[in-house]
Amino acid sequence: MKILIPLKQVPDSTVRVSVAADGKSIKTEGVTWSISPYDEYAIEMALERKDADASTVVAVVTVGPARSRDALRQALAMGCDEASLVVAEETAAPLAVARALAKVVEEAKPDLVLCGKQASDDDQGFIGPALAEVLGWAHVATITKIVPADGAAELWREVEGGHEVWKAKLPALATVHKSEKEPRYPSLPGIMKAKKKEIPERAFASLNVDSSAPALEIVAMEPPPARGAGKILKDGDAKQTAQQLATLLRDEAKVL
Amino acid sequence: MRPFAAGTERDLADAVADWARGLTPVIAEAEKAGAIPRGVIADLGRLGVLGMTIPERDGGLGASSVAFALVLEELAAAWPSLSVGVAVNSGIVAGTIVRHGTAEQRAQLLPRLLDGIGLGAFALTEPTSGSDAAALRTTARRDGEGWRIDGRKQFITNARYAPFAIVFARVGEADRVVASRPGAPSPAHAGITAFVVPLDAQGVSVGPHERKLGLHASDTSALVLDGARVGAGAVLGEEGKGFAMALAGLDGGRIGIAAQAVGIARAALSVARAYARDRKQFGRAIGEFDGVRFPLAELEARLAAARMLALRAAWLKDRGRPFTRQASMAKLFASEMAQKATHAAVQTLGGNGYMRDYAVERYARDGRATTIYEGTSEIQRLVIARSLLAA
Ligand SMILES: Cc1cc2nc3c(=O)[nH]c(=O)nc-3n(C[C@H](O)[C@H](O)[C@H](O)COP(=O)(O)OP(=O)(O)OC[C@H]3O[C@@H](n4cnc5c(N)ncnc54)[C@H](O)[C@@H]3O)c2cc1C
Repeated sequence: MKILIPLKQVPDSTVRVSVAADGKSIKTEGVTWSISPYDEYAIEMALERKDADASTVVAVVTVGPARSRDALRQALAMGCDEASLVVAEETAAPLAVARALAKVVEEAKPDLVLCGKQASDDDQGFIGPALAEVLGWAHVATITKIVPADGAAELWREVEGGHEVWKAKLPALATVHKSEKEPRYPSLPGIMKAKKKEIPERAFASLNVDSSAPALEIVAMEPPPARGAGKILKDGDAKQTAQQLATLLRDEAKVL
Repeated sequence: MRPFAAGTERDLADAVADWARGLTPVIAEAEKAGAIPRGVIADLGRLGVLGMTIPERDGGLGASSVAFALVLEELAAAWPSLSVGVAVNSGIVAGTIVRHGTAEQRAQLLPRLLDGIGLGAFALTEPTSGSDAAALRTTARRDGEGWRIDGRKQFITNARYAPFAIVFARVGEADRVVASRPGAPSPAHAGITAFVVPLDAQGVSVGPHERKLGLHASDTSALVLDGARVGAGAVLGEEGKGFAMALAGLDGGRIGIAAQAVGIARAALSVARAYARDRKQFGRAIGEFDGVRFPLAELEARLAAARMLALRAAWLKDRGRPFTRQASMAKLFASEMAQKATHAAVQTLGGNGYMRDYAVERYARDGRATTIYEGTSEIQRLVIARSLLAA
């Protein structure tokens, strides 16, 4: 089975992002970049298939700026077999990215495409379903497990109180919510091997994708408002305090 | 910008640092239990850390001494007890076998140092011989095809985890193949020979786990050899050349201890720095008081110098150049620096520095051993002085 994972390089979860001077983007100086966490789950899920069946081929691809090469290298170090980069220095419209990925998928001919359910930078969750749509493939969202089943795959999803199992004829696309194990750390031999691998790259423009997609424009970015001071309830006995707390949680915090 | 270390070496260390950050939740419990969880050793095997110093042809990664020093710094910054175990297994034990083992010994022993099941041990010290290691009393006698070893080794790191130990024992006059020249007095180290002793060999037992000032999760135990039986193939290197082998092993090991001291100091200082910025007294951050920030500044400079000394020694070793003096200088300077750094960190945190909730008290206790093992600071001065004043 060949599995292809389109991944995205995003600011690491430990980075405190701040808005750049243009008011429309985030500051990128000094930012540590990582593979988006749900994409890491997708990689781990694919590598678990490879652990179970050594003939599995796991490939990764990204559409992004040149620095995204580091994320691909990281995926190779984790144990992926192949990686390729579509260089787009400007942020392309999401639908255009999906179309570019569709071209890559048509060439690579994977049996299964796994996407993280959403990228942790903009949390749109757009690319997976859009790519399935462009390809005309079956799509199952937020899976937690794959079980190969003779030309098809069982795709498991967690639902309230249990599991739902879908069966999809291959090729198919799924977005990943979580892998069974935490994503593996790259091994030192894995890092050395990854260094020796070629990562072919091509320009986004060379794919000639239809970019008549509805263009998105970011109008403004703002940090969330600073959190106000907490409230301490200290007047009254336990019963009164509990009552006050319940009132506040219902009327003010609106969580009850 | 980064003298001595290449990009790849840094990448390997960064990967280990990334993994080691995930250990935080297990450290406190493991230190209390006095043992490194087996799962952590298995992870080190899987990640290829244990085999990183072993050549590729023997199934390892064949990484440089510089890379290993950087990795030990990262492990020590995260968890000193773990770094000692790795330093001994992958540094001195693996190094001695790679340098002196026959093809057969390498094939048999090296896989057991990288499989993540155990950690190898190096047994030189005895109750009556520490700094004066050449005075060791453990004896080896020929016994049929093999050998019979009797003696007691003390303070042996990893004894409890080890598949085997490299044991230094003296082959007596009567059993020596090559007798020393008649009339000439034998040197103190005459007859000392390195043996590979499996921990499950007949007559071998491990004494109780020592209770220590620090490094609680690292195993330090006695190794008792009571008529221990090993085969003829157990001799490592040349018979009678064991002492020189031990010294050569320690030369490399000292780079590792220097790197470990750097990691411990770095971690303690980084806690201190954050605390100095946040903690307010007399209406300002304590880091604004020269009494607090000057020691931190001074130690930052010493930390950087110590790292350079360690990397320079490793760099020389990688190039096959002499590095004995440089390794001793690195170990002396880095381990003494780590004492000052960890104490300054405790002082910066005041009462909190003394409390278990902040890791600095542990770094201070763990770091204390670095001026003692693999040759005390006094012995490093001796090594440096001898090389300095030699004609
Ligand atoms: C945590 C830990 C782990 C260890 N792990 C191992 C291990 O895995 N394998 C192993 O073989 N050993 C191990 N050791 C032993 C260690 O290497 C010795 O403790 C060390 O070499 C010192 O020997 P000693 O304890 O006998 O002290 P001694 O040699 O008795 O020294 C006592 C004091 O006298 C000083 N001194 C001695 N001779 C001189 C001199 N000529 N000039 C000036 N001062 C001198 C010393 O510097 C020291 O301050 C370990 C020790 C510790 C604490």
